[in-house]
Amino acid sequence: MHIHNYEKIWLVLAMLLIVAFISTVAYGATAMGVDMISDDEETINPDALDEDQRFAEPRVEQVGENEYEAYVVALQFAFQPDPIEVPAGSTVTFYVTSRDVIHGFEVVGTNANVMVVPGEVSTFTVEFNEAGEYGVLCNEYCGDGHHVMEGSVVVVPEEEYDGGDQ
Amino acid sequence: MSDALESGAPSFLDQFPDEAKLVRATLWSAFIALILGGLFGIIQTLHRTDILRVMDSSYYYTVLTAHGVLMVVSFTIFFLVGVFTWAVVRSLDRPLVDIRYSWTWYGLMVVGTLMAVVAVLGGFVDSTEMSADVLFTFYAPLQAHPLFYGGLAIFLIGSWLAGVDWFRAWYAWKREHPDERIPLQTFMALTTMLMWYIASIGIAIAVVVFLLPWSLGLFDEVNALLTRTLFWFWGHPVVYFWLMPAYMLWYTVLPKLAGGRLFSDPLARVVFVLFLLLSTPVGIHHQYVDPGIAEGFKFIAMTNTMFLLLPSLLTAFTVVASMEYGARRRGGTGLFGWLRALPWARPAFTGMALAGLMFAAGGFSGMINAGMNINYLVHNTLWVPGHFHLTVGTAVALTFMAATYWLWPQLTNKPLFSRPIGLLQVVMWFVGMALMSNAMHVSGLFGVPRRTAEPEYQGFDFTPAFGTMNEFDMQIAIGGTLLFISLGLFIGNVVLTSFGTKQSSLGEDLPPALSGPSDSPVVLDNLKLWVGIALVLVVLAYSLPLASIISRGGLFGPGVGTYPMIVDTFSALIESVAHAGITETLAQFEVGVIVQ
Amino acid sequence: MSTETAKKEIDHEDFDPKGTLALILLYFVILAILWIFMYFIEFLGNDLTVIG
Ligand code: HEM
Ligand SMILES: [Cu+2]
Ligand SMILES: [Cu+2]
Repeated sequence: MHIHNYEKIWLVLAMLLIVAFISTVAYGATAMGVDMISDDEETINPDALDEDQRFAEPRVEQVGENEYEAYVVALQFAFQPDPIEVPAGSTVTFYVTSRDVIHGFEVVGTNANVMVVPGEVSTFTVEFNEAGEYGVLCNEYCGDGHHVMEGSVVVVPEEEYDGGDQ
Repeated sequence: MSDALESGAPSFLDQFPDEAKLVRATLWSAFIALILGGLFGIIQTLHRTDILRVMDSSYYYTVLTAHGVLMVVSFTIFFLVGVFTWAVVRSLDRPLVDIRYSWTWYGLMVVGTLMAVVAVLGGFVDSTEMSADVLFTFYAPLQAHPLFYGGLAIFLIGSWLAGVDWFRAWYAWKREHPDERIPLQTFMALTTMLMWYIASIGIAIAVVVFLLPWSLGLFDEVNALLTRTLFWFWGHPVVYFWLMPAYMLWYTVLPKLAGGRLFSDPLARVVFVLFLLLSTPVGIHHQYVDPGIAEGFKFIAMTNTMFLLLPSLLTAFTVVASMEYGARRRGGTGLFGWLRALPWARPAFTGMALAGLMFAAGGFSGMINAGMNINYLVHNTLWVPGHFHLTVGTAVALTFMAATYWLWPQLTNKPLFSRPIGLLQVVMWFVGMALMSNAMHVSGLFGVPRRTAEPEYQGFDFTPAFGTMNEFDMQIAIGGTLLFISLGLFIGNVVLTSFGTKQSSLGEDLPPALSGPSDSPVVLDNLKLWVGIALVLVVLAYSLPLASIISRGGLFGPGVGTYPMIVDTFSALIESVAHAGITETLAQFEVGVIVQ
Repeated sequence: MSTETAKKEIDHEDFDPKGTLALILLYFVILAILWIFMYFIEFLGNDLTVIG
């Protein structure tokens, strides 16, 4: 089988490109510590969220110094709690699940962007350094009110934080 | 007439009148789907950019479902079965074994499409219970009318039988030509179909085992993650199913249009074998940010996906080299000067070349989509439709339209109505898509979601790094409008061609490759071997993730309910409340209704 | 077509697609630059990093 020399050059470069792409992603995952949503949480019965100690009452809870956990429920067509209130300078682990269909949880303009699947719990941890407000939207079609499904994350200055209860 | 016959080759219609008729029927079906899909496309473009809203936003998703299904199921696959039938018959130089059988698979595909489309369009009629506003991905537990799933299943079966038809023709040919290599176009059609059969396992199980019986009420729970994963088992290879006929046209027709010949037949075979091997064990790249799937599986899917870039990158070289060869034969010189010697006045050539150029751009955004953690940046944003309107929406669709300008006269014995209009049409598609897709990509980067009727929120605004949301919406709307006009020109040209008078000798030969099949190892034609390896790769990539999903959530899911997509908002809300059994959330639902 | 014979005939080994090589190298460079831009500036430079 003849392969023209130029084709061989291109073949090598193409392989190089592929390996470089994979390496960049691996670099992001290790050196920069970007973690993927994974299967660390048990499945959950979406019909029985009311009996679940995390999701019966969607809320933000302090679990350590500057460490918080946010239990969020997505449903047609809202997020609970809304707003999700956390203090500046905190590390927050989100636990997001759905009461009904598949939704998305996108903190607008950021890399916090995950799928929310009924029966599963999406967990991820991010750091909020400065006070401010983020929009949250659902980016997976979930029914004919999908476009009104929004929420917010409010990062309040540390000293003003009252535990996240509205 | 006899005069003309002597000066040119007999056309496909002259040689194979029965097959030509069948191919014409499949292409008409494709074009009808295309124009309807385009109509829905422009409606939703103007709606989501808030230029013109002709309907309530709750209908947006009916429109979007129709657009998705008509474009990427009906249009692409009807065109595929037509162009593969043409290619197999032409390259084997023998008719199909039994044309009645062929009309049967075509009939099944038509019936299947009609069923699915009727179910979707039922969403517009408030008085019917029927609807299927589930988008072309139909993620459970959103539930469509059984007619929708049934239609999909019948359509799929039709496409499988079409593949069987080409295999039958090939076996018959093999008996007549025992020691010959498989002709290139037939090789491409057959390897593509083998990939399709493997890919179909996923969707067949999802639809036949779970979704259809569930929609009929035989059981009332499904595992949402499982059916979603089975969907993407099929959902990525289907991308290559759309693309392979376009690749076939680039490899075999484009070089001829450029005045040259294919650069390398062996490499073309290698590329198609690579697609057969690698197209399926990658689907989890659509689920990078899904819960319930371990990061390790996602990384494996990414590695496979990245290697799947290889055949496309090789194609870029071979196809451009074939064009350069043609240009130099036509007297082109210089490092880049030869580009001017290409036949830019021919719409068939220009359309395919522009489609290829857009594919180079779409290839880049595809590389981003393939990256695992960078998916957080783009997942489910408008970036994604920006990407696939370059790939399936242009590399495939524009190639099909351009190829029609070349093929249609050979199927009808009628010369193309107007080349200048054809040229205008393909250029307009290119410009329209450049505008629409570019603005979609950028909007996605600042967070604008896809699949959303009104991306305007109460609590926040989108903040682009440069420009305003309005400017990008304008670009999308202008681009979409150009696309729609271009589509009208295309259909008009084809229809007017059909009203023309018949001529003879419109046939065109395809020249053999510079480096022919005899230069490639015979093992490339060993289809059984490649299927075997492809299956092993699929088992390696999918058995553990699927086993894990099932062992975690059960075959029928951890209590996931049923959400029929009935358009009447209120009844849908009642349904879901009834299922969720939570009255406290009613207040939340009402908020949704009022804001609508 | 009768003009066919007047055209230059070049075979696989003699034909060096220099223009193609140049174009594809250009594509390679564009891909590399855009990838770096997208990954390191758009993605890693973006707000909120998922760290766990
Ligand atoms: C007249 C030309 C076209 C226009 C104006 C158009 C416009 C659009 C727009 C604006 C969207 C995004 C809607 C949203 O996410 O909210 C969309 C989605 C889509 N388009 Fe097109 N498009 C056109 C042609 C095509 C073609 C030729 C194809 C494929 C062959 C195609 C396939 C799709 C698919 C698969 C979706 C995604 C549907 C979904 O998210 O469920 N489109 N189109
Ligand atoms: Cu939604
Ligand atoms: Cu894919």
